[in-house]
Amino acid sequence: MIPMALSLPHAQVTDLAGRAVTMDEAAFHHLYDRTARPLRAYLMRSCGDLALADDLLQEAYLRMLRSGFEGEDDDHRKNYLYRIATNLLRDHFRRKRPESVEVPERDESPGHDEAVHMRSDVGRAMADLAPRDRQMLWLAYVEGASHQEIAKALGLRTASIRSMLFRARQRLAKQLQARGMRPELEVS
Amino acid sequence: MTTKQCPHEEAVTGAARSGDWSPELKAHRDGCLTCAELTLVVAVLAADAEEMAAMDAPLPDPAPIWLRARLASRERQYRRATRAIVWVQRAAVAVAFAVGIAFAPGLWEIASGAFSGLDLSISAPDLPRSAGSPLLILVVSLVVLGLLAVFELTSAQEN
Repeated sequence: MIPMALSLPHAQVTDLAGRAVTMDEAAFHHLYDRTARPLRAYLMRSCGDLALADDLLQEAYLRMLRSGFEGEDDDHRKNYLYRIATNLLRDHFRRKRPESVEVPERDESPGHDEAVHMRSDVGRAMADLAPRDRQMLWLAYVEGASHQEIAKALGLRTASIRSMLFRARQRLAKQLQARGMRPELEVS
Repeated sequence: MTTKQCPHEEAVTGAARSGDWSPELKAHRDGCLTCAELTLVVAVLAADAEEMAAMDAPLPDPAPIWLRARLASRERQYRRATRAIVWVQRAAVAVAFAVGIAFAPGLWEIASGAFSGLDLSISAPDLPRSAGSPLLILVVSLVVLGLLAVFELTSAQEN
């Protein structure tokens, strides 16, 4: 796995919490230009709603700036952003289903943007997965996060990630194969 | 073909992301259902991520995000700067109450004595009738100042 360091030591967050915005505007714009599109892709594939993804995207950057988090470099800041975004997604899904303790299995809200999810077979296949499965698969196979980083971002036990990821992958592969995709057709 | 977790998953993931397959790994993938599924998922997600990153939909303007963060930062700085004033106001209210409670019985006697000693028949058109009772003025002033301090305190907390 490619190291990603989605996590941040708690003490460091606490120390920075009372401080003002430390990054200058040019550095912020540079970070935004570099990270906003992939972060929005992650949010869109996780929540299936372009407008919501844009809202969460802005909130993630705002929270990062307000936290005063500086990070060692842009990669560090990017990883911090993904963690904030994952927390925002989790809050979103919890708010939608207050009666459920666990993350809901399906995102079927009225605001669900079919146009975003259904723009491709991959979108349709992802839409049939639980939000947590989508987040896990994206973090693991697009962002290259380690099991430990995924566990921290999603609030799960590291030991559970391997088997959960395996099952999520099987479910997605089944959905993709039902839509006519095969490994030999996708990989040259 | 197997459907269990495979020890080659990490290597297959790397190869699927980079497209750099060794003949041995490719042969393994073709015979392992787990790695074949993994390859499918990684390749499809990578292609999907690229497609979504290249979407035409414009990103939200970062300028308002920066502005909101700056405003929030200034708000925090303002609160920090006025925290001492708020504490002084609280202390003033506490002292006023303490003095009032400590001296209430004596003040009451003095105030009632001052009221009873007022000679309403004396004509002093250029002075209020209570002018002869400075203690009464002091009590009233303290009460007014206390009320003002409470008002300032509550309005500062609301803001």
